Amino acid sequence: MNHQNHPELAEAFNKDFERTTWHDETLWFVRQKRDKAVYPIPEFQDLRTLASEIKDHTLSNLDNYLLQFEENARKNGVHVHWAADATEHNQIVMDIIKKSRPVGAEERNIRLVKSKSMLTEECHLNAFLQKNNIDVVDTDLGERIIQFRDEPPSHIVMPAIHLKKEDVGETFHEHLGTTKGEKDPQVLTEAARQHLREKFVAADVALTGVNFAIAETGSFVVCTNEGNADLGVNLAKVHIACMGIEKIIPKLHHLSVYTRLLARSATGQPITSYTSHFTKPAEGKEMHIVIVDNGRTQQLGRADFRNSLKCIRCGACMNTCPVYRRSGGHSYDFTVPGPIGAILSPNIDLHKYSSLPFASTLCGSCTDVCPVKIDIHVQLYKWRQIVGNNNELSTSKKWGMKGLAKVLSMPKVYDLSGKLARGALRILPHGMTHNQSMNPWAKARELPDAPKQSFKEWYEDNRK
Amino acid sequence: MSSREKILARIATNKPSLTVLPNVPIFEGDNSIERFKTVLESIGGRAIEIATKADCQAAIDTYYSDLKNVSSNIVNASIEINPETPKDILEQVDLAVIQGEIGVAENGTIWVPESNMLNRALPFITQHLVLVLDKNNIVANMHQAYQRLEDVGSYGVFIAGPSKTADIEQALVIGAHGARSMMVLIY
Repeated sequence: MNHQNHPELAEAFNKDFERTTWHDETLWFVRQKRDKAVYPIPEFQDLRTLASEIKDHTLSNLDNYLLQFEENARKNGVHVHWAADATEHNQIVMDIIKKSRPVGAEERNIRLVKSKSMLTEECHLNAFLQKNNIDVVDTDLGERIIQFRDEPPSHIVMPAIHLKKEDVGETFHEHLGTTKGEKDPQVLTEAARQHLREKFVAADVALTGVNFAIAETGSFVVCTNEGNADLGVNLAKVHIACMGIEKIIPKLHHLSVYTRLLARSATGQPITSYTSHFTKPAEGKEMHIVIVDNGRTQQLGRADFRNSLKCIRCGACMNTCPVYRRSGGHSYDFTVPGPIGAILSPNIDLHKYSSLPFASTLCGSCTDVCPVKIDIHVQLYKWRQIVGNNNELSTSKKWGMKGLAKVLSMPKVYDLSGKLARGALRILPHGMTHNQSMNPWAKARELPDAPKQSFKEWYEDNRK
Repeated sequence: MSSREKILARIATNKPSLTVLPNVPIFEGDNSIERFKTVLESIGGRAIEIATKADCQAAIDTYYSDLKNVSSNIVNASIEINPETPKDILEQVDLAVIQGEIGVAENGTIWVPESNMLNRALPFITQHLVLVLDKNNIVANMHQAYQRLEDVGSYGVFIAGPSKTADIEQALVIGAHGARSMMVLIY
């Protein structure tokens, strides 16, 4: 497996200064919308506590809740499948699709419409299905845009947030025949609407993600703003819903807590336009649920990190993160970017994602906005220890840390180093102290003037 | 061992010790028509108060006289929709007028169960959507809404305003895939 390098990918993103600033401001704007939606709710902090405790409880009894969910879903006439990993998930989905071929359609590809599902991104389902001659159409507008461009999503709620309207205009000109240079979001959205209506009507199978699965009723809930999940599911003969094991909540009324938190935290809306409750298939139709592990049970066993399984995928931690905002979702090179991605990814592959826990200032803003109170910045810090103990630190970090540890453990050496450094900073030319390959910290910063004495010296001179 | 057994066994081994499931209070809140209207308008919808349910027809005649294919079990319909209606007919619906069951003042959403939809696809495939709501069925928040619901039936949706997207540069566009406009008639 390749070694992913967040600093390098972030540096590439930062080459376009204006676009980086725009990306930063756009996501901060979403964070501000979140604040405006959150502050008027007097019990918002109580809701966060409830959401966190309900999820804690659910994880502590997850096997029994999954069994209860399965039993009730089966009673409702829903087919329930279990997948240990991405490969098994993809195979199950493909088998269902292949069995759904309509009579008289032997000659053409089977047509699948999808609404947003980060799990299927995680499993790389689209590529697998396309290789097996299934037509896959992502129907969420942002997802359709990046599907045309053959890019992964850069954000879990706003998949095309890295693109400007000019980029989308160019993509739609190429794929949908809109006028060259057209960049009005209204016009472009209308073009996508017309194009995707045809796809909805022609689809054989619809696939959705799952926001919440309710053990007590065997129902599951899908939240969208566009209505694409409902349109797809209700026009196709077969509905496949894919969920990670952590999507379970015990009771129907627990939805009241999460529906008040999710959209407010995500985009600053009071609720998503559509909060759809699927319990039984329509007469003559089929409904399937695929329950997926893919590393989640392993994370459940990590006491320091199991909390990350409480995530409801609102994206608030990304919108607020100063590193995410200025490095872009693609720099994480993981399905879920941002702070939450940086604590989920090392569980999947510690070597590949060893740079991600360092893609943070540990400012704690992610933890402050998390609607289910995941201690994200604490987990980032803890992953750093594991990365270090597993000898996965980059060479410069490793030797830097080693050197610093030595100096800090010997007071005399420390005093002398400080003195030398203060002297050197005053004498050495700017080009040397700010040499960017030796001192990457100085890439966009100026060092302050070196003080004449250390605090220790000052204290000794001044104490009575 | 099947994947099902493997997953369940791994959970049993790895899960933390049992914690308490908290009680969720119902919380207080404003359940006024004014609050509901203000929030609905802020999310792109529109609410009109009418005297009685019988006035729905007059309201539709006033606001939607230009729409040809109307599907409804409340006002005069020009296109009949049922669960078996084929897609090519569903596609032609300009306006659907159906009953909403519970309105939530805090977020402007309305519960629509399958039994009110005429066809599961109708509220989404129609170009414009009108929901009819009894003012006595407006509650303050989602806790109160789920308390009233008891059962979600085979399929049901909380609908909050028209279909929308902000996927292009965060610019809000109304009318993504579903209804281009959404009005609530409150009686």
